Amino acid sequence: MKNQVRAIFLLMCSLMIAGSAVYADLKKGNYSPAQLGSIQQAVPAELSPDSSYEVPAYPVPAPELAPGDGLSDVRIYCNTCHSPRYITLQPSLPAATWATEVDKMNKTFGATIPEENTRKIISYLQAHYTPENRKQ
Amino acid sequence: MNATERCLSRRALLKTLRMAGSGIAFGRWLEPDVMMDQELAPGKAIETFTGPGANPRWNSVGPYVTEPQKVPLILLTDRPVQLETPRHYFRTTFTPNEAFYVRWHLEGIPNAVDLKNWKLQVEGNVNKPTALSLSDLMQNFKPASLAAVNQCSGNSRSRLQPRVPGGQWGNGAMGNAMWTGVRLRELLDMAGVKSGSLQVQFQGLETGQGPEGLGSNLFLKSLDLGNPVLDECVVAYLMNGEPLPMLNGFPVRLVVPGYFATYWTKCLTWIRVLNASDENFWMKTGYRVPDTPRGNTTPEDVKAGKVKTVPVERFPVRSFLISPDGSSKIAAGMIVTLRGIAFSGFGRVNQVEVSDNGGRNWMAARLGDDHGAYSFRTWEASWTAKSPGRYSLAVRATDEKGNTQPDEPIWNPGGYLWNRIERQQIVVGNAS
Repeated sequence: MKNQVRAIFLLMCSLMIAGSAVYADLKKGNYSPAQLGSIQQAVPAELSPDSSYEVPAYPVPAPELAPGDGLSDVRIYCNTCHSPRYITLQPSLPAATWATEVDKMNKTFGATIPEENTRKIISYLQAHYTPENRKQ
Repeated sequence: MNATERCLSRRALLKTLRMAGSGIAFGRWLEPDVMMDQELAPGKAIETFTGPGANPRWNSVGPYVTEPQKVPLILLTDRPVQLETPRHYFRTTFTPNEAFYVRWHLEGIPNAVDLKNWKLQVEGNVNKPTALSLSDLMQNFKPASLAAVNQCSGNSRSRLQPRVPGGQWGNGAMGNAMWTGVRLRELLDMAGVKSGSLQVQFQGLETGQGPEGLGSNLFLKSLDLGNPVLDECVVAYLMNGEPLPMLNGFPVRLVVPGYFATYWTKCLTWIRVLNASDENFWMKTGYRVPDTPRGNTTPEDVKAGKVKTVPVERFPVRSFLISPDGSSKIAAGMIVTLRGIAFSGFGRVNQVEVSDNGGRNWMAARLGDDHGAYSFRTWEASWTAKSPGRYSLAVRATDEKGNTQPDEPIWNPGGYLWNRIERQQIVVGNAS
């Protein structure tokens, strides 16, 4: 009887050791706090059976532009035809490419950015969006 | 009780519970109001830009955004709108309308179209200028349907080295749909193209802030009247059997099978027959590729003025592995199904091959249903990695004209025509 108890005790101990070996690296329930992004569910549109087919305004989330000289010129002039997300979208580009891009807006696309402001916009882009200096 | 007190009292309660040694781990997951002041775990979001190296990811790296009539898609630009389709939507032959990528050139995108006033105009060098309502298009012509891939000329532009300016698309500037509408040829015949005409120009409702006559004012594209693709074009009012989303060109868009999407005019409203060659910016300057094999050139040759260009037209053969996408580990010995799509602007894809050693050895994949020469064709292959490690899965397609995807990159200043063999790293772990 005493031997039987000891045998059961030893068996249970070994099972517990084996069990802990099996499950020791089973991680569970690891959650992390998070913020919901800007993606909210849209309210369904109000529809009427007339001939007009309409969608709501297209959203324009403000891009994070590097602070610095020329930013206000970017916001005023570039914003005329497109949002400044066209800047942050680009890969980091060499300084000369930025000059070409801004010149193209005036010469090819007919923008009328004054010379002084054109120069400031180019300097701004060259100061923050080249492979050497781009951070965001 | 203010917020701080509430937090404190909850903390006290949780402490009491823990001390009580309950078998259930109360308080292990703290509610958000307790965690509010904690910082987000770093490294959860991918980089916000790539370069000067190539974008290493399948899609572009922008955030998700929800636009009207769309599920969350990857934002490239917001005004005008450019959105990329996430990879997993390409598991099926047909891309859902609400996930279909979006690319506009000018900021004046319609938010509303009143079909009481809207008419499709067939005008210019024709005998009988014609204006047709959507109702006319639906009632007076026999509907024509075809499956066709719509791919942006700049799809995968973010792969180029050196990088070029423009929309930094990953691979998701493409989609396949069943398009239904009126054959362009019937509309041209109805209006009667006058002899001596050269091209047919397409204009949609999109407008920009730029001065008249420049590319910043109107987006215009033209095709030669002698181009046999005109016989295959459809003016589509249905996309996968549903109305087109506004951002994809409601009420009708031009479908040019096998051609890059630049010709697929959205919100098509003017079909204009020209008796001279179209010299507008979007034909003469934009959307042009070097007149070389694969449209390949070098920055040096461009600088030296050596490169003659032609308008971009048909898209070259491509194929993609859609799943597994490398985001999960696979256990050694598991028989997994590799899935993907293939397509070509030059004809049916009739062979897809996969490799698990980066392209040294290839095996044939099984092709899915044939939905026509211009559709996505799905493919599948069973794959078992016998031992743990890192595998480079590669996929390449061949079309019925014998075009096979090459393994060399290309470069041109517009960032067009990328079709190099794709690779995906898959990590295989021990199964025991």
